Order: sequence, then C-alpha cells, then structure tokens
Amino acid sequence: MRFDTVIIGGGLAGMACGIRLAEAGKRCAIVSQGQSALHFSSGSFELLSRLPDGTTVGDPIAGIAELEKIAPDHPYATIGAARCERYAQEVPDLLRAAGIPVYGDCHRNHFRITPMGKTKAAWLTIDGYLTAEEAGCLPFNKVCIVNVEGFLDFYPEFIAEEFRKHGITCQFATINFPDLEQIRKNPSEMRSANIARVFDHEKNLEALAAKIRDVATGCDAVILPAIIGLTRDDSFEVLKSKVNVPLYLLPTLPPSIPGIKAQQALQRRFRLLGGEYFLGDSVLSAQCDTEYVQSVYTANHGDEPFEADQFVLATGSFFSKGLVASPDRIIEPVFDADTVYTPSRADWYTLHFFDKQNYQAFGYATDAHLRLKKGGEVLTNLYGAGAGLAGFYPVQEGCGAGVSLLTALYVADQILNRQ
Amino acid sequence: MENNYDIIIIGGGATGAGVARDCSLRGIKALLLERSDISTGATGRNHGLLHSGARYAVTDPESAEECIRENMILRKIAAHCVEETDGLFISLPEDDLQYQATFVEACRKAGIRTEILDPEEAKRIEPSVNPTLTGAVRVPDGAVDPFQLTAANIIDAKAHGAEVRTYTKVIELIREQDRIVGVRTYDRRAHCEQTFYAQVVVNAGGIWGQGIAAKAGITVNMLPAKGALLIFGHRINNLVLNRCRKPTDADILVPGDTISLIGTTSSKIPYDQIDNMVITPEEVDILLREGEKLSPQLAYTRILRAYAGVRPLVASDDDPSGRKVSRGIVLLDHAQRDGMEGFITITGGKLMTYRLMAEWTTDLICKKLGLNVPCRTAELPLPGSTESKKEVERKIRHKPTTQRRSVISRHGDMADRIADQDSIKNSLVCECEEVSIGEVEYAMENLSVNNLVDLRRRTRIGMGTCQGELCACRAAGLMGKKDPICAKRAKADLASFLNERWKGMAPIAWGDTLRESEYTTWVYESVCGLTDETEKTTVQ
Repeated sequence: MRFDTVIIGGGLAGMACGIRLAEAGKRCAIVSQGQSALHFSSGSFELLSRLPDGTTVGDPIAGIAELEKIAPDHPYATIGAARCERYAQEVPDLLRAAGIPVYGDCHRNHFRITPMGKTKAAWLTIDGYLTAEEAGCLPFNKVCIVNVEGFLDFYPEFIAEEFRKHGITCQFATINFPDLEQIRKNPSEMRSANIARVFDHEKNLEALAAKIRDVATGCDAVILPAIIGLTRDDSFEVLKSKVNVPLYLLPTLPPSIPGIKAQQALQRRFRLLGGEYFLGDSVLSAQCDTEYVQSVYTANHGDEPFEADQFVLATGSFFSKGLVASPDRIIEPVFDADTVYTPSRADWYTLHFFDKQNYQAFGYATDAHLRLKKGGEVLTNLYGAGAGLAGFYPVQEGCGAGVSLLTALYVADQILNRQ
Repeated sequence: MENNYDIIIIGGGATGAGVARDCSLRGIKALLLERSDISTGATGRNHGLLHSGARYAVTDPESAEECIRENMILRKIAAHCVEETDGLFISLPEDDLQYQATFVEACRKAGIRTEILDPEEAKRIEPSVNPTLTGAVRVPDGAVDPFQLTAANIIDAKAHGAEVRTYTKVIELIREQDRIVGVRTYDRRAHCEQTFYAQVVVNAGGIWGQGIAAKAGITVNMLPAKGALLIFGHRINNLVLNRCRKPTDADILVPGDTISLIGTTSSKIPYDQIDNMVITPEEVDILLREGEKLSPQLAYTRILRAYAGVRPLVASDDDPSGRKVSRGIVLLDHAQRDGMEGFITITGGKLMTYRLMAEWTTDLICKKLGLNVPCRTAELPLPGSTESKKEVERKIRHKPTTQRRSVISRHGDMADRIADQDSIKNSLVCECEEVSIGEVEYAMENLSVNNLVDLRRRTRIGMGTCQGELCACRAAGLMGKKDPICAKRAKADLASFLNERWKGMAPIAWGDTLRESEYTTWVYESVCGLTDETEKTTVQ
C-alpha cells in the first residue's frame, strides 16, 4: 500500500495532522490501536495553564512567548510563539468542522469544573459542559446535582463541597429506571458508557427529563454527569428542550463520553476527506535507510508494507506504549528512535505522587522541524507529534491537548511545505 | 471507674491483637491502643508465610519447633486466613546437595514432616520452579493473610469485652513510684489528650517498643533490620518456594491468593529511620536477581509494588555491646528486670508465633493479677473460621458467583454479614479484587475503617493489578457520602492514598507500572484536579 503520508497513532495529534493533510489533498493513512488519551478527556482542551515554575497563565499565547525564553526544549518553543498563535486560532474551526462544538479563546483561559468540583484552567470546552469565566464565578446560586443511583464514577458530595465555598446552595437527587436495573445485574457494568446507552433511548430520555423537572423546583440550574448522548448526537439538546431550567454537564471518571464522541467525530471527518483509517491495527516495525524511512509493517497486514513519502509518529507517551520504559532506559519501540531521558532511574521521579515527575518530560529526540533522530542522525521523512515529544509536563503545565494539536498542525505544515 | 482497665496493650499488630483476645477470653478487661491502624507495622509488611519452621530447623531449632506447633494450631483456629499450600526447599546446581541431608535430619528433630522429591517430581507439582534444580524437599509451609488474622483477633477481643482505639498514640506512661499505672494518649482524629489507667501495661509495639519502654526510663535495645519485598501481579507458584541452604536474602517466594511475593533483603538501619522506609533500586535488583533463581518466570512477571518492614530484633540482655541478637520470643517482666512494676514488654518472635507470644504474655499478666485461668486460644477458632467454607458457601448462595470466593476468603464465616439484598449493594467498587458496595459499607460500619488505607487492609480494595486506580476514587466517594461534612476529608484521604500507593510503585516504576502511574496522574490530577491536600489535613 502506498500513501503520501502514513500517520502512526490515531489520538488527538494523529487525527488533527491527518485531517489537515487530507484537507490539503494528501492521500493519508492513520494506523490506530484504538483507545487514546481522548478516552479520559475532561470535555475541555488545555493550551497552557502554568509556566514550568508554577506561575498561573491567564493568556496562553503570552505564556508561550515566555516559554520560548525560559524553556527552549518545550515543543511550543520549537514551533515558536507566532506560529503557535496561528495554529491555536485554526484549531476551533478544525474541531467544529469535524462536528465538535467548542468555544474558547487562545488569549484568555476560562475555567472548567472537574468531577470533584475543582476548578481548572481550559482553552476550549465542548458545548454543554459547565465552565466559568472567573474561578468560582458560577452561573447559579442554587443547584441540584443529579446522579444515577449506584454510579460511582461521579462525586456529587465532592462537587457540592467545592461549590459551597462560593456560597452556592446544593441539593442532590438520584435517578433509577428499570433499564438501569438491567445493566446493574452484572456488578461491574455501572460505568458511564453503558449508562449513556440507556439514555440514548427516547423513553428513558423522556423519563430523565420528567425527573429533572421534578427535582429542579426552586433551583437555578441542574448538573448531570456526562452520561448523555453516546450513540446519538442530539440527546442533550432534546433533554434541554424538555426541561425549563438550565442544564450543565460535568465530566466523569473514564471512560469519557465527550472524549469518545470527539474521537468518533474526528475519525468521521478524516474518512470524509478521503483518509484511510486502520482501526485496531498497530505498527510493529519499520524499514529504514540511514536517513530515511521506506515503509512500516503492521500487526494486521503482516508482510504487506505501508509505503509513504512522509511518516508521522504520534503514538503518545507511556500509557499508549508510544514510549516504553525498561529499568534503565526509555525506548521508542517502532523505529528505536533516539529518546531524551536521564540515565539513572532514581532521577525519574520523587516519592511524592503530586510532585512534578521528570519522566513526564521524557520523549523523542527531535530537530527544529520535529523530525526524529536515530543514532544521532536525523530521519528526514519521520516527524513526531503529540504526547511522545520531549520537553514538557502535560499535567503540571496544563498543555497536553495543546501540544498534541499544535505540533500536529506544525508537522502537517512541515510536510506540506516540503514540496 | 471510667478509663480504668485491668490491662492496657500498646500496639495493634498481630501480637497486641493476640494479647487482647487472649486476655478477653480469660475475663481480663483490656484496652488496646494503636497509634495508627491495626497491622500497620511489621505485621502487615512481611511475606505472609505460614512457616513450617523448616527455614530455622538447622540454624535455630527452638524457633523451628515453635513454628511447626503454631503452624498446626493456625490451620485449625484461623482456617479462613490460611492457605495450605505446602512448600519446597529446592537445591540448585550452585548449592551443596549435602546440605539437604542435614536439613531433613534437623526437620525430623523439630517434628517437621518432610518428603524428599526428585527434580522431575518437583517440576510436576510446581511447574514454575527453576528447571535446573538438583533436589527438593516438601514441607508443610503455607500462606497466611496477616491482615485478616489480626482483624479476626481484634473482632474476637471486642466480642469478649475488649476496647480497641486506633489512631491513639501513647505520649506518656504514668508512673507512681516504681510502678506504671496508666498511660496518657493523644487521639489523632479528635485531637485531644486522654488518660487511661490499668494494673498492667503491655508494650507490644514491635520495633517501636524501644521508644515506648524509654518513656518509662527503661532500655530495650532494638536492632532494626529492614526487609524489602516485591509483590507480583499474578500468582506464579502454587507451593511456597525456598532455597535449601542457610537462610539468606530473597530466598522465599510465597503465593498468596492471586499474587506471589518475593523477599526479603536484610539490612541494618539506624533506629531513627524506622518510620522512613525507602526501597532502593539496589534492593529491587537483588530481589529480582535472587528471585529468578527460584522461579525464572519472575523475570517477565509484572511487579505490582515494593514494600519494606522492620524486624523487631532485640539485643540480648547478656551482651553489653548490644550487638548479639536474641533469638525467638522476648518477654520482659520489667518488675524483675528493671524494678518497675506493672509493665511488660513482649517483642522479638515472628508473625507465626504471635499466638504463643500472646499466651506467654497473658500467663504473666494472670500471675500479676493473681488469676488462674487457662489459655484457650489454641483451641477456640477465630471469628471467620467457625464454619467450613462449604457451609459459608451455602449461606451466601444468592451473592454473584464471582464475589463469593473473594468474600469468603476475606471474611470467612462472617461473609453473610455483608449486605447484598439488591443490585446496588452488589455493584463492584473494585473490579480487580471483587469488592462490592455492600462490603465497603460493612467494613466502614463494623471494622473500624477510618480512611482508604484502612479500607484496603480490611477488604483488599486497591491491592489488585490496578493498585486502586479508579476504585480508590469510588471508595472515597462512598466514604464522603456517609456524611457531607466528610467530603473534604475524603478528598484529602484520597490524595494521601495516592501518595502511599506511589511510594510502593516508584521503586519499580518502569514498564506497565509507569504506564499505570502516568494514567493515574492524568485521571486524578488533570481530569479531577485533585491536589495534595494531605499536609493540610493529615490524619483527622
């Protein structure tokens, strides 16, 4: 099989890169194992929330300009602040075109509310999810937090405890229907995706609306866990139209319904643009010259090579096995490309879970075009994008989604500008 | 009179719990004080090996005899905590096969049943064993769950009138002339001081006993020896695997329920470091290198966590240098030894001999109180072991099949006390260990659970492959739900659980362990926005 570009990894970075290239008329393939970090998405995307020293960032683009000076190894610094701003401006349209309705401004972080009621900075948030323009400034004074009976991946009491700090009155309600009782028969099935399927049925959606109308009396708003609209897109809109009070969604513990929906939407968009999406397949090995990748081989296609002019490695970090840690080194398993890490394992982390852990900034060694290296030599047609890149702390800096999206667009530009 | 007891026991390990049970059964009014949760010291940080005594047969015949006697007793009285696996002492090409004869003879003298197997037979009954072995001896080793064992002793002690206060730290031994008459404590949750009086105070503080005795101005010289262990993600061996040679590092591989454990290293540490157990990369390397010699499968089995305990070894009273270690059980009557009435220290020994240590201690207490009541702990089964597994199975037939086995293994005949009337109570909080909402609620209400780590000790929640990745959060949710005011505490507790869990994972954080850790960081710190709230709230 021959393509213009083969992208390895179908998470946020791989998809965004594939969509951009396909929009430009390139013949692309994405090889994806299946699940990605989107499966535990919060419903929001972060661009930059904090500088490496912990300073809060209000304007992410201004923050990136600062990063360029103080963190030269950061992927944003490699791309440059000006280009970062351009890509950040393009991302909302890319997502909306795929059918992911988001709002937000790359010059001003807003705040999302977590499943535990905490406030975290965000760049873009999917419509329907509760956000605040200022931390602690919520659009209600009295709210009813609804949960499904026995659903343990959402924490009304924790949320209320945070809300009360801001003077908000909270009340609780739980829902239970015969169809929920069905999934409960298997003790391990009370998880978000199974519950969402129940509410995709019109009669259950109607019953939920009736319950909300009932419990909302005297409240300014009602909060629901993100268990609405897995197999259909209009569930939440339908639900809103049937109640007379503002409704907001909050994310749950994984699996994330907004994340799964976003993943599906991006896949659809890529295929619609003519991209070939190989789901449930993984790249096992590669055929390389000294400076050049010829082809890659996958689990499902055996000795039939995937050939291309350019390759993009967007396999993520440790969780998705884009990086593999052995007791003494960090390996990039497909190309055995060079990686950046500290040699002594004792330096990989501290004993405090909440500390900034060095291993999180390990990743592929790249040049200024984000091309990978092997044995110190640049592989001229292999680009890296997303969480597998080195030099940043996605959680502490609040920049995971942003790095994935911006490096994906940067790599797409590098590929398009080569010809 | 209020706050007045016959005896006060300091320390909620297996020994303290055993003394509390023995005393209560003999009609002595006991108060047990523990500064943290039960089983937090060496009790919960060892192999969980039901020693046959064979390990000590050659070097320490007295301990070997104690072990085999207690081994047989525990099989009867604590059946629900014991797995009768048997064990193999294997010889490898690098070992002297001559030692086997010495070993078998020593076992025979100690009363330990042995059976010499040829290597082929050994491989047949234990396929995971190193295939290059040159010989094997089968002995009645087994596995014992120290958390359950201690909990069962506590439950029985309470049922017979004992009072147990966890998270209560002894800050002073109250002295009147040459007699200890009580203790002053600090309640770490209510943040208040209290005073309790008794005729006898028992120091069962394990390695911390040196510090407790010091409060009475008495010197008990402990020689802290750190032992590190690794837990593997699935059960590798059916039988306990030992090396047939003089005991050394990392030469015991114990199966326990769904996991296997390799240990231990042994290194002397300064006494001021006993609360600061750090496992070094070198210790992990030794455990893996030596462990692979018992079973080569260890090389490619996932490690779940690393942990370390401190053996409460005591310096012999007859050695002024303080370097010579007392073997076996050490029972000190400070009236005789130091002229201090009303104060006893029980230490040394092993998990295996906790019951015997309790018996000796209670005998001495009886003498001091002028009582003449015989010990019955060798005959009376512990709660959980009063009915056979079959009978319990029958009682809980209506529970989901998958949960039955785990619930019985954790609670024995008490399994039917767990609510299961509807599907909500049966919903799983922890999938790895099959812990239901009903079981979590039962533990919170009946088993003195104060936080997530306590809950883990009672139910194994978060002990499975995922090490509490999502179930910790779910359980925190349930704990926060009990009382809205608890929500803040539950969040802090969750943060502290994650810190505690990470301490065990960091020494082995490569491969899948690092993958899980990265995922946990994303879910808790990023998605949930949880921050480290432990320092502000600590233990409440």
